Amino acid sequence: MQRELERQGIATVGLSLLRKITERVKPPRTYCLRYPFGHALGEAGNRDQQRQIVLDALGLLETVTVPGAIVESPYRWRRTRFAPEDSSRRT
Amino acid sequence: MVTLFRIPGIRELWAKSYQGVTSEDIPWTPLNKPLAQCRVGLVTTGGLHLRRDLPFDMNDPDGDPTFRKVPCDAEASELVITHDYYDHRDADHDLNLIWPRDVLQGLESAGHIGPLVPQSVSFMGHIDGPHLNTLIQKSARSATEEIRKQQADVVLLVPA
Repeated sequence: MQRELERQGIATVGLSLLRKITERVKPPRTYCLRYPFGHALGEAGNRDQQRQIVLDALGLLETVTVPGAIVESPYRWRRTRFAPEDSSRRT
Repeated sequence: MVTLFRIPGIRELWAKSYQGVTSEDIPWTPLNKPLAQCRVGLVTTGGLHLRRDLPFDMNDPDGDPTFRKVPCDAEASELVITHDYYDHRDADHDLNLIWPRDVLQGLESAGHIGPLVPQSVSFMGHIDGPHLNTLIQKSARSATEEIRKQQADVVLLVPA
């Protein structure tokens, strides 16, 4: 799906929970998280965490210049603390 | 199986034995404007759909290669997850885990991104066997056309 979107001129970024499969499928840009299935955005109700992960992923659209890049998230499941919006804003 | 997948080692073993799609080339479209000016599309493979729509087929062991359109202004009560291959109890309570509509709307309000397009696209991510070909040759193309019609500049894809 991601590859088809990109072929049709739409820039994409995908989250991934399984780096090994991502390496085989070769999507254009991937943000990889070591989180459980069903939790690509993190923990339920943790909006600061969810926002940061989406910001990180969308940020790859501006920073990645090499097709097929897989960027590893630094976050640890249920251990990393996430700041509220004002202090995490990147723009 | 869903319970076993909570163990990281089991997931890695399964990923190593994965026999699905392998690609060589990598399609590429560079971003041609600031994110703050981009219309954003959303694709999930979490098995989300409107309650009134046909559920994904859970009887076929190779999964269901079709997709559903999910309006981005839908109420959570109008939506349901049909997907037996991951534990979606948390996502049932907070759909943003697999469909970050609220998160993207927040980023739009804060000026990080342009508007979210009206219709998102949802697949169920457990697709194997002959359905992989249907997914690639048919469903992915139809879903892309749906997103292209909405003039999305960028798309975020979220797995389950």
